[in-house]
Amino acid sequence: MLRFLRLALAALAVLALPAATLAKEREVSIGLQAAITSMDPHYHNLSPNNSMMLHMFEPLIKRDANQKLVPGLATSWKAVDDLTWEFKLRKNVRFHDGSPFTADDVVFTLKRVPNVPNSPSSFATFTKPIVDVKVVDPHTIVFKTATAHVLLPSDLASVMIVSKLHGEKASTEDYNSGKAAIGTGPYKFAEYVPNQRVVLKANYGYWGGEEPWDKVTFKILTNAAARVAALLSGDVQMIETVPTADIGKLSSDKRFSLVDKVSNRVIYVHLNQRSDTAAPFITGKDGKPLAKNPLKDPRVRKALSIAINRDAIADRVMEKRAVPAGQLLPDFFFGTSKKLKPAKYDPEGAKKLLAEAGYPSGFAMTIHGTNNRYINDDKVAQAIAQFYSRIGIDAKVETMPASVYFTRATKGDFSYMQLGWGTESGEQGSSLRSLLATYDAAKGMGVTNRARYSNPELDALITQAMSTIDDKKREGLIQKAAEIAMADTALIPIHYEVSTWATARGFAYQARTDQYTLATGLKPAK
Amino acid sequence: MAPRTESPWARFRAEFAESRLAMAGLALLVVILALGILAPVISPQNPYDLAQLDVMDSRLAPGEKSADGRTYWLGTDDQGRDMLSGIFYGLRISLGVGVASTVFALAIGLVFGLVAAYFGGWVDTIIMRVVDIQLSFPAILIALILLAVLGQGVDKIVIALVTVQWAYYARTVRSSALVERQKEYVEAARVLALGQARIVFRHLLPNCLPPLIVVATVQVAHAIALEATLSFLGLGLPITEPSLGLLISNGFQYLLSGKYWISFYPGVALLLTIMAINLVADQLRDILNPRLRK
Repeated sequence: MLRFLRLALAALAVLALPAATLAKEREVSIGLQAAITSMDPHYHNLSPNNSMMLHMFEPLIKRDANQKLVPGLATSWKAVDDLTWEFKLRKNVRFHDGSPFTADDVVFTLKRVPNVPNSPSSFATFTKPIVDVKVVDPHTIVFKTATAHVLLPSDLASVMIVSKLHGEKASTEDYNSGKAAIGTGPYKFAEYVPNQRVVLKANYGYWGGEEPWDKVTFKILTNAAARVAALLSGDVQMIETVPTADIGKLSSDKRFSLVDKVSNRVIYVHLNQRSDTAAPFITGKDGKPLAKNPLKDPRVRKALSIAINRDAIADRVMEKRAVPAGQLLPDFFFGTSKKLKPAKYDPEGAKKLLAEAGYPSGFAMTIHGTNNRYINDDKVAQAIAQFYSRIGIDAKVETMPASVYFTRATKGDFSYMQLGWGTESGEQGSSLRSLLATYDAAKGMGVTNRARYSNPELDALITQAMSTIDDKKREGLIQKAAEIAMADTALIPIHYEVSTWATARGFAYQARTDQYTLATGLKPAK
Repeated sequence: MAPRTESPWARFRAEFAESRLAMAGLALLVVILALGILAPVISPQNPYDLAQLDVMDSRLAPGEKSADGRTYWLGTDDQGRDMLSGIFYGLRISLGVGVASTVFALAIGLVFGLVAAYFGGWVDTIIMRVVDIQLSFPAILIALILLAVLGQGVDKIVIALVTVQWAYYARTVRSSALVERQKEYVEAARVLALGQARIVFRHLLPNCLPPLIVVATVQVAHAIALEATLSFLGLGLPITEPSLGLLISNGFQYLLSGKYWISFYPGVALLLTIMAINLVADQLRDILNPRLRK
């Protein structure tokens, strides 16, 4: 009897073992850098949230790993005229509960987006240009805009479509609890514990085909060392934003592999041009104020640009996790110019330019930057101070946490402002408009132009580009605008950040320019 | 028994020399002080002059050569700063901040402590309650808040350290002054109708000094450790002028990736400094404390 039992147990164990390991292999854990503040896709426009929502929900138009627009819940779209867009919707798509997706869900979504109570950062900016929606049939929908709005497809790529059936009476809490978090995406809501984890289960009926994972757990590991430790211990199989200091160690360890990709985020310097006479934190070397603001002189701005050894920063400070920049986006993005290369390091030329501008012995300037926002931001500031001290500028460095820094920079407290800008739309026109058009909040021009740089020629080109629906023509206009801005050193681009993901052996991740970490990009390695 | 003819100073020296450990500590302290004071002369590089740094030389291992052929004996940090020079200058800041804050805190604490002990009554109550309140908060907490308000700079650090330390001295002085106050020589001075200031500073003060010297020596070490902690947390000194704490903090993130030298050597320097001071302080305590006297 005993022997029989033992045999039976052994047989059971043999049978059960492969099943258990198989089940385990279809589960994966991912370490994220930042908390997900809500599971309501229209509550908080924040990169970590937007990235998470893409698992459960889908927009009409998606962005691929290079931020190129590709069909999502819409199969095609076209501008009928300057003010009218027609979208064809995907057929036979079902929500997680089995209900069908139709144009009514799109109409409901557009109605819901501007009316989410207490939204800390609304998505309404993406839906505002649409003044009228017409449902032609359940799978054809027409949008009307008041003025020509070229970024409409890009804007709609940021709006997740929710189910009308479940969303009509739902509050943000209902999404957070999972009750209303019902979308069309490849993963379903399973659990959401704020600041700790998000658990998703596979949606086996997904129109785009089945995903390799039954269950995905996202763990919030804000501390960089803890994130690396979790990967090393096998607690998670992938982490995002690998700290540069650990890249060397991980890349030499055969149990892990790293993928990286240049991102849409440029690190740049705005030079304060608000006043003709005064420049905060700039004085003569004797400590006395200068007669006029040197940053108004394009020769000084150019000197400050060519004094920076971008290769050295990318190589030594960023440990190769940066690509020297010559404009606001890497040159495979829409509207970028192949002619714009990173400024060549030329300290002698910089000295000459300063002398021509009337500062043969330089001046004293404080460099202001963040110390917790961008990759190695405070180290980059110190390295730039080194380069400036070599062209005769007495450079001091002051760095502070982003929460303090951005408020003061927006007020114009600093002369040298080191900042970062990620272009979510993936086209350079929108970044030129935000960063370099003459400041006019009402028109949405230059809203992040903290330097108050102003150039009427550039403004005219940007305005024209933003109302040119034809992609080819628009791209030409944006390229020309970028060339004018860079020739005038309207700002100083330093580098594009390179984002790095680390995966355990046996996994492969499709790196993205938008720095999103998606379970849909994680596959078992072949 | 014949009276000893040696002067008190000579006796003090002889007693101090009884402990070899203390002598070693003293020797080490002298060397460290010399390195700190002579830093601008002996350092191969001025680590605070950005023009002398080269980011291309960043994170070189100890013994590697720079682009222009100089050897970095202790390696470089992430900005290409020579660690050896950085440590010399860092010692200078640490010792300067430690001594300056101790001197000021001592002076303030001394006056308040003596006044509290001599006058007693409500003056004593007020001063000692303030001291109690201050001592009930962790020193690091008060210093953090002060620096957040005051901003960066060596002077600000000294102000913060004085603020958190004066209370120790006030309490020490008061307790020994209370004992001294009861003694006959003070009574005698009172009977002679000497001025109160004269009694407090000429009669009470010198007799309260020995315990104070011991506390002050220990506090110098504390002040140095506290300054390093604050710098490590990124408060206090500008990042282009690192003290030992900031150097350690800069290298901290590289520890796991094998670039140990950025944190390690400044850490050793800090450890040796504090150890040397404590060895000297221990021996001073043994000599000056009558109860421990053999």
